[in-house]
Amino acid sequence: MSEQPVVYELPVLPLKNAVLFPYLVMPLSAGRPASIAAVEAALASESKEVLVFTQRDGDVDVPTQDELYAIGTKAVIRKMSRSEEGHLELLVMGMERVAMVKLDHSEPFLKARVAPLPLPEDTSSELEALQGALIDLAGEALTLAQPNAPQELRGLLVANDDPLRLSFVLASMFSLDAVKSQSVLEAPSRAEALRLLHKYLTHEVQVLELRNKITSEARSEMNKEQREYMLRQQMRAIQQELGDKGGEQAEADQLRERLDKADLPEEILKEATRELNRLAKLPPGAPDYNVIRTYLDYVLELPWRKGTEDSLDIARARRVLDEDHFGLKDVKERILEHLGVLKLNPDAKAPILCFVGAPGVGKTSLGQSIARALNRKFERLSLGGLHDEAELRGHRRTYIGALPGRVLQAMRRAGANNPVLMLDEVDKLGHDFRGDPAAALLEILDPEQNKTFRDNYLDLPFDLSKVLFVTTANALDTIPAPLLDRMELLRLSGYSEEEKLQIAKRYLLPRQLKETGLTVERCSIPDATVRKIISGYTREAGVRQLERAIGRAARKIALRYAENQDLAACTIQPDDLIEMFGPEPFTQEQARRELPPGVSTGLAWTEAGGDVLYIEATLLPDGKGLTLTGQLGEVMQESAKAAQSYLWSHAGDFDIAPSLFKDAGVHVHVPAGAIPKDGPSAGVTMATALASLYSKLPARSDLAMTGEITLTGLVLPIGGVKEKVLAARRAGLQSVILPKGNQKDLRDLPEEVRNEMKFLFAERIEDVLRAAIPQLGDRMSRVKMRPAA
Amino acid sequence: MSSPGRSWPSPAPWQPSADVYRTRDGWVLKFDLAGVRADEVTVSIRGRRVCVSGVRRDTVVEEGCSYYAMEISYNRFERYLDMPADLENARVTIEAQDGLLTVRMSTEGNEYV
Repeated sequence: MSEQPVVYELPVLPLKNAVLFPYLVMPLSAGRPASIAAVEAALASESKEVLVFTQRDGDVDVPTQDELYAIGTKAVIRKMSRSEEGHLELLVMGMERVAMVKLDHSEPFLKARVAPLPLPEDTSSELEALQGALIDLAGEALTLAQPNAPQELRGLLVANDDPLRLSFVLASMFSLDAVKSQSVLEAPSRAEALRLLHKYLTHEVQVLELRNKITSEARSEMNKEQREYMLRQQMRAIQQELGDKGGEQAEADQLRERLDKADLPEEILKEATRELNRLAKLPPGAPDYNVIRTYLDYVLELPWRKGTEDSLDIARARRVLDEDHFGLKDVKERILEHLGVLKLNPDAKAPILCFVGAPGVGKTSLGQSIARALNRKFERLSLGGLHDEAELRGHRRTYIGALPGRVLQAMRRAGANNPVLMLDEVDKLGHDFRGDPAAALLEILDPEQNKTFRDNYLDLPFDLSKVLFVTTANALDTIPAPLLDRMELLRLSGYSEEEKLQIAKRYLLPRQLKETGLTVERCSIPDATVRKIISGYTREAGVRQLERAIGRAARKIALRYAENQDLAACTIQPDDLIEMFGPEPFTQEQARRELPPGVSTGLAWTEAGGDVLYIEATLLPDGKGLTLTGQLGEVMQESAKAAQSYLWSHAGDFDIAPSLFKDAGVHVHVPAGAIPKDGPSAGVTMATALASLYSKLPARSDLAMTGEITLTGLVLPIGGVKEKVLAARRAGLQSVILPKGNQKDLRDLPEEVRNEMKFLFAERIEDVLRAAIPQLGDRMSRVKMRPAA
Repeated sequence: MSSPGRSWPSPAPWQPSADVYRTRDGWVLKFDLAGVRADEVTVSIRGRRVCVSGVRRDTVVEEGCSYYAMEISYNRFERYLDMPADLENARVTIEAQDGLLTVRMSTEGNEYV
């Protein structure tokens, strides 16, 4: 054993960012020329010893004494080899702690005179406690840093009973940085070394814990994606194993096949193929995949060229129309005309019809009937309350959940490009900030434009020109003029009592009996009863209430049968209705027997048909002006004023004292007071009431009148003649005064009404007054016959 | 025969490999100690522990030559072997030949074993 002198000199190997501890073996790499020279000098010696000092600053190449820590380690080089770059790869072992006395800067390498600095050998109970704590801590850190570290590594720590050596092992095991390692090396006592290491390891454990937390979070996120990917791969593998192509591939192929089979116009086919190619490239999970799929489905399902063949048998069509509906001559004629045109010119543009009429007159069912007559598909879409343009035109495909508009959806359902498409309640379209559906309808209903109707969703031109559009409306005033202009109006006026009776007998009664499970033998409802229901229990232009009432009667009979099987066949007599339905809810405005002066009989048009209307006028002695009551609209008030002014200006002709107009006021009232009324057609009635009032002569009670008057006494034509005449007939009035201009409208009346009623056509108000107030007529003749005044 | 005097001896840089044989009358230990002069080897036995220590000197060092590679360790060595039996009173013979150091320990006739 060779004893070192107390102070000795050896070559110095400066270390960057690492500390060599005594007892420990460490690989080193020497690259700096001075370091290489120092190593070679050491190897040339017998003992192969070198001094290892750590640099305070790792960036310095040739450190001075101040730039090295004052305490280092003497080491023996155990092995050496050269790397390709010319570095020396060393395996050194720390031998003892040394303190620098003097650094010698002589070339070609650093040398230093050092004195050994023996390691401290203090002992205390604190030391033992510290050692135990440190081993636990190190175990914890080891588990965190390397969960898979072999158990032996921990055992090694415990076996290291020298506290200082333990510190050195731990410091190098956890790769503490140079500053920390150096402080452990320099520790003046064992306890201090352990304390330092405990501090460093605690920090290390915290860092490791944090790092583990972060990586485990990141991993769990990745795991989910990887799992899905794995499952997909597996699914694909299974499909391949089963001989299926990938689901999406099969789907694309299927669509391609359908595309080839479908008879698409060229432009459409091109666009659809383009979309299909896009689809084939997308993974099925892509959000666009389903969008394109749905789109292609739609394209494929639309009847681009497919149409049904029209039945051009006019006789059959007429029969079908007559079977389904009673009356409605004009409409049926129009349909048959179109059929005739189609026979001569198969490419004729379909008309766009608009059925206008009160509720329940059969507009919608007429549409179905037309489709049946022509042997076309029937589709119906209700526009009532529709207020979004996109409902008709569809949403652009970029929106989530976008769909084509209702028009194309109806076409798809129809499966033919020439259905009867009924747009119900076109007068009840709404519109708001989202757009005006009526404007969208303009395009759809224009035969010039709808050949290339572009839905927002499809964005392809679709030919709607073969579609027979039928719209329905209750009233025309809410339909925008441009839209109204595109449609051919066909009015379905209310049914007369006679027509209703026929409809009830032919359609409603059999239908309701069938629904209640009765037969004609068991339950019969004679005409008189139906008439009673029509007049006493319903008030409408159509037949819905009538059908409901018949149904109600039938149900009551059905109940009787259900309770008593042996019941004999029964007949509902008119008098039974009171028992069944209670008293009549509607009393017709029955003709008043005798009218006092100042009252006249008018006729009004209502949505439910027509009605009889009495106008009452009274004088207000010492009063002033004209008072009008009964919810009269402005037009009606004005016609009352015009009537008064005319009479005033012609007071002489009627032998009325003009002072009467000046000295007394007039009150005109039109019952029923709660129902708003308006329109000019009560002009002649007002005039008659006032003339009767001022002349104190009563008007005829068996005669009703209607017509607009002018200030000069002309009688102008009005609308709703049919309904008004029917109302007069219902009320039991036999004569009606109509404006001369309305003479042509009599054609619309059922023949039996025309034959039964007496019509008087007036050109001037005098004609009306003469007929309505016979005594006044006499007076007028007398006045005229007076010798020239 | 001596053991390190300090409680924590300065460590030896290297340990030679050893083979241990059991013989009819004791033990034979063989150490791989090429290049080590027999007179610079110390064998000490304390109870069951056999300690072999010494120094290997690099005798090829001469002016003008430098290492290109080094795989043999020099400087002090030290090797402890814990034997299954107390060998303090065994007869020991040491022999160095062909780079191997052979230590024979005979317990034959040892009345204490």
